[in-house]
Order: sequence, then C-alpha cells, then structure tokens
Amino acid sequence: MKKTALFIIFAAFIWTGCEKPSPGVSDSEIVIGNIQDLSGPMKELGMVVPHGSNLYFNYINENGGVHGRKVKMLIEDHQYNPQKSVAAAKKLIDQSQVFCLYNVIGTSPVEAIRPILDEYQIPLIAPATQSGSMSDRTRKAWKMIFHTDTGYDKQARILVEYALGENPDAKIGVIYQDDDYGENVLKGIGEAEKKHGIEIQREGFQRGATDFSGQVMNLLKGGCTHVIIGGVVKEPIIVMKTAAAMNFAPQFLGISPTMDHRVAIAAGPAGEGFIAANFAQLWNSDVEGAVLYRELFAKSGSPEQLMGMYNFYGFITAMVMVEGLERAGKNLTRKNLIRGMENIKNWNGMGVFPSISYGPRDRAGSESVVLVQAKEGKQKLISEWMD
Amino acid sequence: MKGRYEDENLKWIALLILLVLLVPFLLQGMTYSYRYYLYVLNIAGIYMILTVGLDLLSGYTGQVSLGHAGFLAIGAYSSAIFVDQAGIPFGLSLILASLITGVFGLMIGFPALRISGMYLGLTTMGFGFIVRRIIIALRDWTEGSAGLAVSKPQLFGFTFNNDLHNYYLIYTFVILAVILARRIVKSKLGRAFQAIRDSGHAAQAAGINLSKYKLISFFISAIFAGLAGALFAHTMRFISTDHFDILLSIYFIIMVLVGGTSSIYGAVLGTLFIVSLDYLIVPQFKDWLSTFMSLEAGDIQSLIFGLIMFLFIIFQPTGLYGMWIKMRIYWKLFPFNPKKRFT
Repeated sequence: MKKTALFIIFAAFIWTGCEKPSPGVSDSEIVIGNIQDLSGPMKELGMVVPHGSNLYFNYINENGGVHGRKVKMLIEDHQYNPQKSVAAAKKLIDQSQVFCLYNVIGTSPVEAIRPILDEYQIPLIAPATQSGSMSDRTRKAWKMIFHTDTGYDKQARILVEYALGENPDAKIGVIYQDDDYGENVLKGIGEAEKKHGIEIQREGFQRGATDFSGQVMNLLKGGCTHVIIGGVVKEPIIVMKTAAAMNFAPQFLGISPTMDHRVAIAAGPAGEGFIAANFAQLWNSDVEGAVLYRELFAKSGSPEQLMGMYNFYGFITAMVMVEGLERAGKNLTRKNLIRGMENIKNWNGMGVFPSISYGPRDRAGSESVVLVQAKEGKQKLISEWMD
Repeated sequence: MKGRYEDENLKWIALLILLVLLVPFLLQGMTYSYRYYLYVLNIAGIYMILTVGLDLLSGYTGQVSLGHAGFLAIGAYSSAIFVDQAGIPFGLSLILASLITGVFGLMIGFPALRISGMYLGLTTMGFGFIVRRIIIALRDWTEGSAGLAVSKPQLFGFTFNNDLHNYYLIYTFVILAVILARRIVKSKLGRAFQAIRDSGHAAQAAGINLSKYKLISFFISAIFAGLAGALFAHTMRFISTDHFDILLSIYFIIMVLVGGTSSIYGAVLGTLFIVSLDYLIVPQFKDWLSTFMSLEAGDIQSLIFGLIMFLFIIFQPTGLYGMWIKMRIYWKLFPFNPKKRFT
C-alpha cells in the first residue's frame, strides 16, 4: 500500500515535471511573431526591417533549419500605437499560437505588452528599440525580454566621454526628441553629468519638428563646442544645415538612429565630420556577417533601395534569434529558449556585434558602440568598440 | 399623470444585460482565441463610456469637442497616480479621477461660452495638445513620455486579474453609464441641452441659462471621459502619451457620427462598430487581400477604413441607430409602407 502511494506521488512528480511542448513548435516548424509599424509614423521601417530578418531566416531554413525545424515569421501591424501593440500581441499569441515574440518595434509598444509577456510567460527576443529601459530589471517581465542593442542612455554617456576625451574643456549641448527616446537619452546625459561633474545644455524638440533655429541659436549662445543630436534621419540634417547657416560649427555627434547613410548624403558640406554612434558594425563593412548579408541580398533579387542600415538591423537581430533557438536545444519550450539565450556568452554574430553575453540576471546584449564619421558624403569607421 | 419614462419599452433591457453577461461564454465556446476578442470588447467598452458622454456634449448640446482624448488621458493619469503613488484605493480613485476630469471639463467649458462651431473644435483640439505637454512636463509623477506602468484594479479585496474580470468590470460601468445618460437626456437638464443645440437664442428666450447649462454639459461629459480613463489605465496597465493621440479624439467623433448623433444607443453601437472595424474586420480583410496580391503599401488599412467611413456618412447620415429606427418602422408598417419614406 505504502509502495503504491509512493509510486503515485513519484509518477505525479514526473508528470508535472515534464514540460509540455510550447505552442508554435511542431516537428517541422517554429512560428514566431513580429509586430511592426506597417501603417503608422514609422512605416518606412515597417517593411524594411522584417525583410532583412527573412533574408537570414530563409538562409537558415535552406540549410536545414534550426534542429530540423524551419523558422516561420508572422507579422502584425501596430501603427506605433501601444494599444494596438497589445491587441497584436494577443492575436499572435492566442490566435496564431506563436512560440515567442521577436523584434517588436518601438519603446512604448514594447512597454505596453510587458503585462502580456508576464501573463503568458512568453519571451520577446531583440525588441527593435534601443531604449535602455528594455533591459531594466526593476520592470515587470524583465526576464522575458532579451535586448540586443546598446541603450540610448549608454550611447549618450559614451558620446559625452568621447567629447571630453577630445577636449577636456568641451562645452557640450544636446538636442533631444521630446518622447520616450529622448527621455532615455536624457537619462544617460544626467548620468554623465554626475560622473564627470559637468553641466550639459539641453534643448528639446517635438517629434516631427522641422524647424530647429531656436534650439540651435540657444546652443550657439551657450557656446557649445560639441552638440549631441538625439534625432532620427531628418533632424540631424536640418540641425546641421541650420547651424551652418548661422556660422556655428561645433562638432556634431549623433545617437545611433542618426547613423543612417542618408544623413551624410543629404546634409552635404554642413554634415562634414558628423560622428554617429552605432551598436553594430556597418552593413557595408568587411566583417563576415556583413559580407554574408550582401551576398544573400544580391541572391534574393530584392529591390536595391531596401538595402541599408535598417534592413541589416533586421538581419542581425534574426541572427540573435536563431542563436537562441539553436542553444535552446531539440526539446524546444519557452523555458528552454530563455535558458538558451542565457547561455549566450561572448558571442559576436560573425563579427557584427561587440561580444554579447546574457545571463540569469543580465538582459542587456551589446553594451558598446563604434563611431562612424561622415567624410565627403561617405561613412568611415573611426573607432574600435567603446564602452 | 403620465410618468416620464412610460412611453419607453424597457423590457428588452434586461435581455440585453443578460446577453452582455453571456458574451464571454459564447466567445469561449466559439473560438480558442477568445481572450483576444475579449480584449477588443474591453477597449470598445471603455470607449463606449466616453462616447456616451461625448454624445451628451456634441450630439445633445451641440458643442464640438476634439479634446476628448485629453480628458481620457487626465482620467487615466490621475487615477494611476492616485492608486500607485498616493495609495488611494481603486474604488475611490475612480470617483476622484472622474471629478478631477470634470473640473478640467469646466475649464474648457468657459471658452465655449463665447465661441462655437469650428473655433470651439480648434480650441478643444489645442487642449488635447496641452494635456500631452503637461503630462510630459510633470515628469516626477508621470515618468514623462516614457509611459507609466499601472497596477491591476482592486475592488472590495478582489483583484481583476485577466480580460474576463476586466470585461465584467468595464461593462458594469458601461451599463450604468448608458442608464445614467438616458435619464439625463429625458430630464429637464437634457431638454435644456437640446434647446441650446437647436437654437441658443430661443433657449435663452425661454429662460434657459445658456452659460450654466453649457458648463454643466462639459462637466458631465468630462466626468464620463474621466471614468473611462481611470478604467483604461488600470485594465490596460500601461499608459503613455502615445495612447492619447489627437487621432483618437477624431475617432471618438466618428464613433458618435456613425452611431447617430443625439442617441445614446447610437453612440454605443457606433463605438462597437468602429472598434471592431478597426481591430477585427479591416485587418482580416487585409489578410485576405494579401493572399491575392503583394501589399507594398501598409496603408491599405487606413484606406479601407476611410472608405467605409466616407460611404457611411454619405449614404447613412442618421447613423446606425437611425438605420435601426427605419428598420423598425418598416416592419411595423409592412406591407403598407409608403414607398417614398424608405428610399
């Protein structure tokens, strides 16, 4: 009698201990969910980023997949609206039964789905935003989010330190976008101020602004020698042109979204010498990952204008996703994916990233940047990895 | 003497409430992704509370407001701050947040005493922008534009954990809001509102204090919006300035228009219609369409949406509720319908 009771208890333990296979995984396929902005304010990126991801997923699938399973990516649209982001996540998880989420774009859309990640215990790999809040361990569901990119706050601090390294008496100013992105830049600026005992002049602008003469004038009055631009593509161009028109020529530095090669082309002589930070190697560099990217792109026969930084971004985050799936092993469950991601140590994705490490209490991937300078309309790498 | 509500047929209201209670179970039986549908219904429910209030203001009193997303934001942020930072219980914060939003409504009501029509629309739109800036400026409480995580709603020791719980919480308030609004409309207050809408001068000549009633209308409408905002914050559990876009205010107006202005049920129907169009029907249609052709432009969603709105306003200006009334009359008179009336 006692033996049977023991056996039943033991069997019950075994039964509950067995992890049931997670949804979205079959013998031949892994379905992952991607939420992009296909019809909102960032729709230019909405088609470009997942196209890059699919380049890599297709490459993996053609070479036998991950442990024999092919990766299939479903895309939903959130229009950069946090509420729609929640709806899209629920749809992907409940209706399409995806295994995990990948590459959700935008800071507030990701922040909005934290309660869902928590409720379903579903991982989100490589959110497509560089906000440092992604790897913040005080927030809900921090365990579920694996952030690849170097945070805006860290980038801002590194840029301040670069400016101080060039000129210890540098007077630094920052132009920031008054939204979640700028908020994170200011956090880094505040940390740098404290660390180095300096004061940095802050000038904000509203998202979508096209006139920066007031801000540039204030920076000129403040006597800035270095100006950090926390904009995207259009803002650094206009800011530098405005400054040139005012005969104001500080050293301009930019956070990673300004790294787009169009900035160097469109700003012309005003943008000569503009330095931008980036958390990965350039898509047109000679590292192995970038070479593979250009090769696969040429083979896919996709339209030329898709090629570039944001397309490459999709490609390299797909590399992180696949690496995690590889390391999760043959028995693919959500818990194993988290374990697999945590096992990534000193991994650089064919030379594209600085060494990335995650751990049970570490969700920040890349923590360094390289600096890229615009010279005669072309971008040149001017530094090693800095952190 | 005949009672005020005697000519109203109230029997089917009980049936409707029963249906509202049963919907989650029906959904659960029909589809395994019922939680997603519940979430969409929850959004619709929150917006219904707001649009019912907006209809009182725009439909009944004739005051345009393009600032209701701002009121929603005030309700949401004040309730989030009350509960999570000041430790006020959720039940009390619902009332407080609504009242605070009501006070903001009064403030916006003052300029409305002097301006009307387009100009009032622009003023209220400006108010929406100001609210956004204020939220960003009050960084210490609102975390600026980074957004604010909000706790789950708790009432009488019960925590509303999931979409099903939230559904019952929200729809209880929807039913209360609809009943309250219907009562307001049939009261002296409601008649004064309609008199102001139809002709300000005539109303004044009849002894209606224009400024008083316009302010009351703004106050009540903002209270509804504040209540919706408080529910929004705690059931969505994350709020940011991106949620309360100017576009949302325009959507609210569209909901009221499509449902049929000056009809409380119309506002409810219109909201349900627009939200399901936005979240369920158009994306489904887009998915279906994309199996036939490659959609280079993601904008097809807005295109379909705009087209439906456009056709609706041209061919059905009385809205969904008007359609229902026409249908009812049609069947009442069938088969002796005067042909002219229904073409």
